[in-house]
Amino acid sequence: MSRIGVFICHCGTNIGGVVNVPEVVEAARHMPLVAFADENKYTCSEVGQSSIRNAIAEHKLDRVVIASCSPRMHENTFRRTVTAAGINPYLLEMANLREHCSWVHSDARDATSKAIDLVRMAVSKVARHEALFPKQIGLTKRALVIGGGVTGIQAALDIAASGHEVVLVEKEPSIGGRMAQLDKTFPTLDCSACILTPKMVDVAQHPKITLLSYSEIVDVRGFVGNFEVDILRKAKLVDYEKCTGCGLCWQACPEKIPSEFNLGLGHRTAIYIPFAQAVPNKPVIDIANCRYENYRRWKETEEGEEPPQCRICEGVCPTEAIDRTQQDEIITEKFGAIVVTTGFKTFDYSVYGEYGGGRYPNVITSLQLERLMSAAGPTEGEVLRPSDGTHPKSVVFIQCVGSRDDKVNRPYCSKVCCMYTAKHAIMLKEHDPEVQCYVFYIDIRAGGKDFEEFARRAQDETGALYLRGRVSQIYQQGDKLMVLGEDSLMGRPVEITADLVVLATGMEPSENAAEIAQTLNISYNTYNFLIEAHPKLRPVETQTDGIFVAGAAVGPRDIPECVAHGSAAAVKAVALLSQDSLTTDPLISVVDPMKCVGCFACKEVCPFNAIEEQVTRDGRTISSINESVCKGCGLCVVACRPGAINLRGFTNQQLLSEVLTLVGR
Amino acid sequence: MSADNEPLIIGFLCNWCSYAGADMAGTSRMAYPSNIRIIRVPCSGRVDPLLIVKCFQEGADAVLVAGCHPGDCHYNEGNYYSRRRFAVLRALLDFMGIDKERFRVEWVSASEGKRFSQIVSQFTEDMNRIGARKAG
Amino acid sequence: MEADFTSQIREKARELLEKGTVECVIGYETGSDGVSARPSFIYNPSEVERLVFDNTCSHNLVKYLLDKKGKPTAIVVKGCDSRALNLLLSEKQLQRDQIFIIGVVCPGVVEWGWNRRSEQFQKRCDLCRQHTPLVYDLLIGTPVTEEPPPEFTDIAEMSARATEERASFWREQAERCLRCYACRQACPGCYCIDCFVEQLDPEWVGIRIATGENLMWNTIRAFHLAGRCIACNECERVCPVNLPLSLLNRKLEEEMLELFDYRAGMSEDATAPLITFIKEEKLGIGE
Repeated sequence: MSRIGVFICHCGTNIGGVVNVPEVVEAARHMPLVAFADENKYTCSEVGQSSIRNAIAEHKLDRVVIASCSPRMHENTFRRTVTAAGINPYLLEMANLREHCSWVHSDARDATSKAIDLVRMAVSKVARHEALFPKQIGLTKRALVIGGGVTGIQAALDIAASGHEVVLVEKEPSIGGRMAQLDKTFPTLDCSACILTPKMVDVAQHPKITLLSYSEIVDVRGFVGNFEVDILRKAKLVDYEKCTGCGLCWQACPEKIPSEFNLGLGHRTAIYIPFAQAVPNKPVIDIANCRYENYRRWKETEEGEEPPQCRICEGVCPTEAIDRTQQDEIITEKFGAIVVTTGFKTFDYSVYGEYGGGRYPNVITSLQLERLMSAAGPTEGEVLRPSDGTHPKSVVFIQCVGSRDDKVNRPYCSKVCCMYTAKHAIMLKEHDPEVQCYVFYIDIRAGGKDFEEFARRAQDETGALYLRGRVSQIYQQGDKLMVLGEDSLMGRPVEITADLVVLATGMEPSENAAEIAQTLNISYNTYNFLIEAHPKLRPVETQTDGIFVAGAAVGPRDIPECVAHGSAAAVKAVALLSQDSLTTDPLISVVDPMKCVGCFACKEVCPFNAIEEQVTRDGRTISSINESVCKGCGLCVVACRPGAINLRGFTNQQLLSEVLTLVGR
Repeated sequence: MSADNEPLIIGFLCNWCSYAGADMAGTSRMAYPSNIRIIRVPCSGRVDPLLIVKCFQEGADAVLVAGCHPGDCHYNEGNYYSRRRFAVLRALLDFMGIDKERFRVEWVSASEGKRFSQIVSQFTEDMNRIGARKAG
Repeated sequence: MEADFTSQIREKARELLEKGTVECVIGYETGSDGVSARPSFIYNPSEVERLVFDNTCSHNLVKYLLDKKGKPTAIVVKGCDSRALNLLLSEKQLQRDQIFIIGVVCPGVVEWGWNRRSEQFQKRCDLCRQHTPLVYDLLIGTPVTEEPPPEFTDIAEMSARATEERASFWREQAERCLRCYACRQACPGCYCIDCFVEQLDPEWVGIRIATGENLMWNTIRAFHLAGRCIACNECERVCPVNLPLSLLNRKLEEEMLELFDYRAGMSEDATAPLITFIKEEKLGIGE
């Protein structure tokens, strides 16, 4: 037989001023299984708590009801109190006499009668509580970072610095991401490559970091502390053990393909590194474009004309590193934490017919301009028109291309475009003092350290003409581009003759962001940006424990923010990996294997993939709950018609008993 | 059972939004009639239709289920399931003679103390208007 | 036609049993009254002559498959019964590769009783939209497509009554309920090991046979079949006190159609509406 102790709090006059506390105490004494009832002026005070501990000892109480404020306020406090007196913390129940009673009801009689009901409900519920114990589970002290842009690089370096092993997976042949494509960074104008490449090299050289370039995530199983990840390692056809990165092969390769890294403005070869400072600084063979691979494919069917065999790279390689036998390979690795930094791509502006939809060679994107400005770019840093290689003298910038525009389903601001355009205006003037820049904008958004000053500088010192308004049409006239727009401040149409038009294309998540999110079972919004657990308070966590997000995969962000979030995610991952074991919350669902019929409606509704299939000894396939993954929402309990699942702390029996104390019988 | 709780309204409130919203009503001293008895649940999706039918079968005059607004569920999806389940249950109960008005499902966020207070006040008033349920 | 269907069923049954493709053929045979059909379980090729198909074959035999898990079995199904197969396949209660389905295009079955059969189709057959089975390995008969009459006139009539009138109607029905659970036993969707109504902890429904408890049983029985009832109406047919159970089932069927455009058992990989959702949907709840 349980011996329940009931403690009613006056909370000064907060409760006692309305509710007749002695009457509630007297009523409680007559409730079933109640062995003791008392009142306190302030139950949460040390005096109040010690009186509870004494009463537990003196009256041999084994369950406790505290009727005071909201359990959201002090449930944890009182769990500690009863634990100190030797009672399992889950054998406590609270009745909310303050927020839900005395503070909202003024009639003493009504409030007292309601308070008695609330105490009776709590007593009936606590009688059906069971002692619960958190479980300890082990974990793999290794982290996976998905995406090798600046965010992923930062996260990997920070996690490695804490002494934990990191695997960094990058789908391209080199890490570096978008930042590696930039020329200078705003507002300080430091050279992007100069600050990024040392970090890339650090990644390659760090003993705790394993870099898996040219690789992708294909499947993720498991849960916090115990993830199992299948990683696809695409065939490079180059043996990295033998390759020295001497470069003879890519200098000799005769095949020329538009360079992805230079956004089509230059060429690369079929065996290539994406850019000179690539990490790893070893090439891959682009199987789709390699002449000999093309021949090998032909050889399988011998249909059509025989293509040439080439194999020049094999001839020039001094270390015989070319390995045509390599195949795509899937490896499985274990991790305790995962950081997702899949980054962004730029908006495809071809949907904008008014900007030429991609037909005019001299209409380029801002990222293409970065490549033209870069000393390591296709023009070696000279800004030349793609059509004829001449120096543009009149350059029009158009803001918000694929940002702040409902028409193309991109209502959000991409945040960095105002600033990088200001940078471009300043840089172009430095490259060529004769250049005149025009900027069509909606608003100038320059919130950030030194940002406003920088944007001002572009307007005041470079002579760039900022025109508030949208461009309605661009058309080609001779070798010039005619830009028609509106100056909405002056309220008049404008027409500008331009040599070059630069579109400030907005940010959107990487192509496979949604696919990766699905693989990881984390959420993403309608634009495929990943969703954090809480936008303010848990910005790098997700609803799936052990998976963290950072960088522009979560939303438009600039470099300092990406780096900061990368570090933040690293800290969260390290905090997890630094534990010797993980403690699970015992307030979760449990399956009665004798009642489960194996319909798996529970699995259908579980938001956390906590339901696993299990085969019983008598051969039935039934549900079981992964205790490390379950968050205790109880959706499965309601989906379970046979009542095989119950939620600890909110069992069917408990909720039913609360109802039955209120209604007849 | 106390006699002065008629009409009796039983409220199932999700811990993360609506229970906190009711707490907020208290903190802000937004008074409402004392008829409602609140049962805390982790999520509106934890409220089994069995419980609702039981409340009515045993003589409750009205039942309120309150959860996070769609999109704000602490467990991401729980309230989407409750929305479907209770839309159907409400229709079935009404068909069986338990007036639609007696079973309300509302979304109340943690900051909507005022809204919670208004919902309960209005609900109580409605129940006073349509009167107690006949036994059975 | 009946004789032809019968001979085709027998022929297939013999072949399946002789080859050992299945252990058992579940079909219909003529009962001891010599008039009406009853379920039949044939294990031996020599017994296939017992099998018949006629217009008293109203049992939904699919429920018997639940006792044949892991054993290859052939079964005779009508159009309506085939929806039960889909339901149980979607709920992982059956394995498709263990079942040989002999589908029969059913023109409708009649009201019948001990030693009598009327010429009147059962009410559900007048409303039937599924004369042709949805899933089968062998189809007997020629598929038909018919536009059935408006479905929910009985529901509309009930809904048009005053709330208090509806309440007393259902109280009167509940007063008659014996809680024999024949409705549950006949239902292909009721396969819980431990039905809520018989659980003692928690005791959702009191053990006493009283109006309130009976009402609770009937309400939840119907609700547990929301989006799952395949409208075979076996529950109502077997009720010894003729409770109008189809009214509850069909009310829910109507809701499923109106709210979610869903009919249960139409495909073996369907997801019942109450265990899925659409974020943006508006259902008149909390709006």
